[in-house]
Amino acid sequence: MDESRWLHAALLLYVVAAWQAALVLVPAATLRPWRQSARPWLSAAIAAHTVALALRWHAHGHGPFTTMHEILSSNLWSLAVALAMASFGLRELRQALWAAMPVLAVLAAWMLMADARPGHLPPTYATPLLYLHTVVGKAFLGLLLLAVALGAVPLLRRTAWGAARLRQIPDDRRFDELAYRCAGFALVFESLMLIVGAVWAQDAWGRYWAWDPLESWAFVTWVALAAALHGRATLRPAPAVFAAWLIAVFAIAFLTFFGVPFLSTAPHKGAV
Amino acid sequence: MTNRLAARLTAHFGSLRTTLALLALLGGVVLARPEFAPLTVVFVLLAANLLAALVVHPLLRRQLPLLVFHLALLVLVMLVGWGRLHALDGRFELTQGTTFDGHLIDRQAGPLHSPRLHRLAFRHDGFEIDYAPGRKRGATRNAVTWHGDDGTPRSALIGDHRPLLLDGHRIYTSPNKGFAPVLVWRSAQGESTTGAVHLPSFPMHELRQSREWALPDGRAVWVQLQIDETLIDPATNSAFRLPAAHRLVVRVGEQRAELAPGERVALPGGTLAYVELRTWMGYRVAYDPTLPWLLAASLLAALSLAAHYVSKFRGERVPTPRSTWQDLRHG
Repeated sequence: MDESRWLHAALLLYVVAAWQAALVLVPAATLRPWRQSARPWLSAAIAAHTVALALRWHAHGHGPFTTMHEILSSNLWSLAVALAMASFGLRELRQALWAAMPVLAVLAAWMLMADARPGHLPPTYATPLLYLHTVVGKAFLGLLLLAVALGAVPLLRRTAWGAARLRQIPDDRRFDELAYRCAGFALVFESLMLIVGAVWAQDAWGRYWAWDPLESWAFVTWVALAAALHGRATLRPAPAVFAAWLIAVFAIAFLTFFGVPFLSTAPHKGAV
Repeated sequence: MTNRLAARLTAHFGSLRTTLALLALLGGVVLARPEFAPLTVVFVLLAANLLAALVVHPLLRRQLPLLVFHLALLVLVMLVGWGRLHALDGRFELTQGTTFDGHLIDRQAGPLHSPRLHRLAFRHDGFEIDYAPGRKRGATRNAVTWHGDDGTPRSALIGDHRPLLLDGHRIYTSPNKGFAPVLVWRSAQGESTTGAVHLPSFPMHELRQSREWALPDGRAVWVQLQIDETLIDPATNSAFRLPAAHRLVVRVGEQRAELAPGERVALPGGTLAYVELRTWMGYRVAYDPTLPWLLAASLLAALSLAAHYVSKFRGERVPTPRSTWQDLRHG
């Protein structure tokens, strides 16, 4: 069965989920017949995407770890899973899903432009550390995206437009606290990602850390997130300000995950 | 005046604001100049600031998981410093069938490193390397043998992310490997000298398979491997192997000869014999006595941070919503 059909079906379902999530920002009386929960659409998209990834894995004999197309696809999937799982437990997140959708849209659009041909699995990838590194890395980015989405509500409510559209959902303190919790655990998972990466680098290249561009940016992401959490304890920022910090940290993390390996010619290729 | 300035400076030491400033400095240094000296300065400042914070902030001492996290970070920095002082990172090449004698091509060692490479006498017994279409390198399987502390013969297959662990050292194969013609020079006086010429890495330098070898009298012998077959076919799955048929071109001054394995050529002052073709492998040797402790400290830091957040969030209530969930159809 063709993997690309399932992938395109998944993308279509992601678009519907994004549309439903964005309707939170439309006045309640508008488009009332079209309003539904975004979660079923997101779940369906994830299911179709899972089939596409499984078919590709089966066809090429290895997971989505080698090419930019595969990295973008697997991260689109894992971020969607993080949003879907968290939205079942956190009803605040259901009102903030719209804030995460631009990130998924960027990944999806970039993935469609990337070369979909299979890549070569380097010999140093034949280790369980690959899976461990990937899982904790995805957990980190997923938690950070949740924090950003939750923090975006107080940030948007700073504008008159946003305040008018989001006045019916709980106040900023609740979103701020939940964003803080997600950011705290994101730091835990990023720490684990760096540790597993260092163990893997020691085995693969004979050194655990060499400050290559990807390692440097991953460390800067850790420092930025640690600084945001320290800054919250020290400066007691308003929820919107803390949200702006989290968005900045996410931008650095996004660049680290998808930008640095793509642009750098240094030995640590990471994603490409 | 000086005392007042010092007092004002020390008043801020150990504060979260100083921590923020130092974290910003650390991020800047990592991106601008991640080198030993500037990084050491920033890490020492951060460590001193943390020690000061532990003294002046009782709250930090009362929260055990948070305290353990910060102490683990402190230990991590100290271990990295200790490790750099004692570490070794070196490279060497070994001809198939020969034993490592401790000689390195290049090395970087900490000032307190005490060399023990003579204890790493292992033998390179040949290797296999898979290649995918497009000559993409696959798994490396390098057979090595050595003797244990009790004299028992040991053997292992190393390669890629499976190093040979000997006496605290980690020995890795590298992408550098190639062919090594074994030559014997027998002088007119009957003295013989054996050597292996490590030709440039294959297949990276496939079209440049030549190198010079120095005779005992100082003359240079230029040798070139001539292969008339495609050893690693880029169109299909393949493997590194010795050529089935080949010639070795030998040039000394104006004299030139083409030799098959077992053939020899008479030169002024002696005879040069081409014995056989072997392989050579490039290795990296790394030594850092702190590795297990680094892993333990970093895992302790991550787990204590997780414990801190779990205990903190379990005990705190999320603020109650001011407004109710009215008229929301998206839940």
